[in-house]
Amino acid sequence: MTAKTRYFVLSAFAILIGGLTTGLVASYMGGLPVALSRQAGPDDLAYVPPDAVAVAYANVQEVMASELRQRLRKLHPESPDHNDFEAKTGVDIERDVDSVVAALMPTASGAPDDHRPLVLARGRFDQVRIEGLARDHGGQVSDYQGVRVIAHQDDGRTMGLGFLAPGVVAVGTLDGVHSAIDAHRSGRNVLSNTELMRLVGELDANNAWAVGKFDAVASSTALPGGLQQHMPTLSWFSAAGHLNGGITGTFKAEAKDDEAAKNLRDMLRGVMAMVKLQAGEKPELRTFVDSLQLGGEGKTVAVGFSVPAQMFDVLEEMHAKDRRPADVR
Amino acid sequence: MAAARRVFELSFSEMLWSRRTIFMALVVGAPVLLAVIFRVVETFGSPAIRVNGVRVAGGSIFGVMIWVMYVRIIVPLLGVFYGTSLMADEVDDKTITYLFTRPVGRGAVLLGKYLAYLACTSLVVLPSVMLTYFLTVPFAQIAVTFRPLVLDLAILAAGLAVYGAVFAFVGARLKRPLLAGLVFAFGWEPVVLVVPGYVRQFTVAHHLQALVPHAMPSDSTLSVIQGLFRQAPSAPEALTWLAVLLAGFLWLAMRTVARREYVLEQ
Repeated sequence: MTAKTRYFVLSAFAILIGGLTTGLVASYMGGLPVALSRQAGPDDLAYVPPDAVAVAYANVQEVMASELRQRLRKLHPESPDHNDFEAKTGVDIERDVDSVVAALMPTASGAPDDHRPLVLARGRFDQVRIEGLARDHGGQVSDYQGVRVIAHQDDGRTMGLGFLAPGVVAVGTLDGVHSAIDAHRSGRNVLSNTELMRLVGELDANNAWAVGKFDAVASSTALPGGLQQHMPTLSWFSAAGHLNGGITGTFKAEAKDDEAAKNLRDMLRGVMAMVKLQAGEKPELRTFVDSLQLGGEGKTVAVGFSVPAQMFDVLEEMHAKDRRPADVR
Repeated sequence: MAAARRVFELSFSEMLWSRRTIFMALVVGAPVLLAVIFRVVETFGSPAIRVNGVRVAGGSIFGVMIWVMYVRIIVPLLGVFYGTSLMADEVDDKTITYLFTRPVGRGAVLLGKYLAYLACTSLVVLPSVMLTYFLTVPFAQIAVTFRPLVLDLAILAAGLAVYGAVFAFVGARLKRPLLAGLVFAFGWEPVVLVVPGYVRQFTVAHHLQALVPHAMPSDSTLSVIQGLFRQAPSAPEALTWLAVLLAGFLWLAMRTVARREYVLEQ
């Protein structure tokens, strides 16, 4: 072997070994320092199986601390069930849950209207207390790939709850929880789903978002008649919102072709024109209606909106007006 | 095996510094160049790629590159160009006589050359994948995407091995092997993959693509149809088929070289 060949072989091996070592170290440490990173979506997506048809995320801490939430709290005081849940599980959603990722996966039968739900919550949970509560209600605790999983029969379905990692809990159908464990362990997760992650990458800055296949979600949700007719022509959708004083958000949908997108844009344009006409009679809704923006090009249809904080003052007043007669009685 | 090792040592440097390597460097350098452009654009804060107005994440781009560039183009292309030339080059250069007059078995000549091809292409393709990966995937996703990367490297190495064996046989058997190889890799395989039924079993791509951990992109009409009719075999089944194809075609290639009478054109 000549010196030139030897140098080439050594360089190639150096790149391979360097890359593999970096990857191994990153896997062992659970990721490289955040300062070096730009990640699309939350870390918990690593638990979502690659065949997920819809994924949603909410930064619970940001949403709960938002001005909007405080206003809504005034409008709708918490129900007594809230305290009951905390007493039983030791979990105060507002204090103990940091974020939630929810996903829908197809079932083994592949029926379009049947999906396996999976919810991943990150926060601080009292594992012993939750496990005890589950056992009291007939739950069976088992070990799956080194993870404690609680199974429980509910309406003929076997539901599961798994403590995937410190501070990460998965709730869903039992096979959904199992597939979350497998997805993280094997690395074959939704992060490798290029189409879905492409949409997630766009929504990262928002504190609540959802992306998914439109037909999968539409088949299990009752949509208004106008939209129902257009369902088969839509492929993907994404919805994102940023909650603080008010809400700003966008809803995007990808149609299967340019013609379908154009038709949908025309339909929405008509609906928005009608809404704006109606808003003439209710000036308090004017700000919201004016913020509605229809966009998108090619196969994309996008609707943007902004609900300012003042809008909630109006809602609060309307709510108070509705409540007053009852209070008098 | 000692004879094959001697042929390997002789052929490896020769193959690595041949004119074909320039072609290989260009082919393998394309994804790296695209990844560099992607990284530079992303560093300046603007999304490098948008599809229908939506920003495409680095991890997704890497997955698409593995599918579209490496699995569908680079691996079969290198297999065709190098595999078919293992014996054909010696015939064209009229140097096959010198090889066959050495005290080494004819089968060992092909085996040594095949191993040199595998080492040569793997040492160019796999580092290229590694560079592309680190240029496109954000650091925070390395922990969760590392296993698929290792799987990608293994799949591409397996693809080079199997395609190399198939085209080594084609090169040993046919007179115009390059054309036949190109027709097989870029004509027969993509078409058969969209045909429902068992015919797709007679392709390398069907078994190789079943192992790819990334979601198949719908980048063309053919891909969309392929997605519709896709019945991916299980990983053990795909691996078994690939092992059978590798062993079978390598054995056939060695047997053909051992038995065939090569007539040099004067």
